[in-house]
Amino acid sequence: MKKFAIGLYVVVTLALMVWGYYQAIYVAPEDAMQGEIFRIIFYHVPSASVAFLFFAISLCGSIGYLSYRRSRPDWAQISDAWALAGAEVGVVFCTVVLTTGPLWGRRAWGIWWTWDARLTTTLVLWLIYVSYLLLRRFAAGPQMQTLAAVLGIFGALDVPIVYMSNRWWRTQHPSPVFGGGEGSGMAPAMVSVLMWNMLAWMAWGVFILGIRYVVERKQQRIDAAEQQQALNAIL
Amino acid sequence: MDSKAILDHQFLVAAYAVTWAIQLGYVAWLFLKWRAQKRPKG
Repeated sequence: MKKFAIGLYVVVTLALMVWGYYQAIYVAPEDAMQGEIFRIIFYHVPSASVAFLFFAISLCGSIGYLSYRRSRPDWAQISDAWALAGAEVGVVFCTVVLTTGPLWGRRAWGIWWTWDARLTTTLVLWLIYVSYLLLRRFAAGPQMQTLAAVLGIFGALDVPIVYMSNRWWRTQHPSPVFGGGEGSGMAPAMVSVLMWNMLAWMAWGVFILGIRYVVERKQQRIDAAEQQQALNAIL
Repeated sequence: MDSKAILDHQFLVAAYAVTWAIQLGYVAWLFLKWRAQKRPKG
């Protein structure tokens, strides 16, 4: 039953990806100002949304780890696995944002990069979570998990700053398309395509997040067994 | 097609291709990690 449900989820996700691509390339109307290059929005914006959501999951996992590390070690390990999975998959999506953005910017603005608030805060967010992953890669033990959890919480504080950056400051990056006040918004035909792609990338993201979580839980069990074995050898 | 439209098209293809390269590259790395866990250490 479980295998069937996973298989069905994968099939639905792949169907959504194909449908989203078809909508983005063949159905969405061409933008009057930017032409075809505007279609990057259908990969760029959903990737940013998924990255933000997964950094929020990482934040919850980090808080969970710090809350349970003394009272419920098993819950703490589960929280830590979610924190790592959220951060790592979030970095993958944030990398997509930071590569598709300059490609779009080069054609729309004539430059690959500019140090405006939106771009800079996004790069800082990416660097914080890459540091988080490097810390986890090159250190070990419960102290590493605690340090990583603290770094994960600080990293998540940058997410609302990234989100609000083009509201708080004047930026080269366009103003918010949704909820950006008078004059903002999108043609209904484009909104539906964006929503399809949002759904597709969300489904894909949840799929790989789930795999990463399972792999990490298994790694925790392997590490615990190895530690026990080493302890038995000493005693 | 004028040169602007051709360049726009090439950049669009590059953005979509890079997105999929990053995503599938990560899934491949995850698969290798998962397979390494299945193999007992020698």
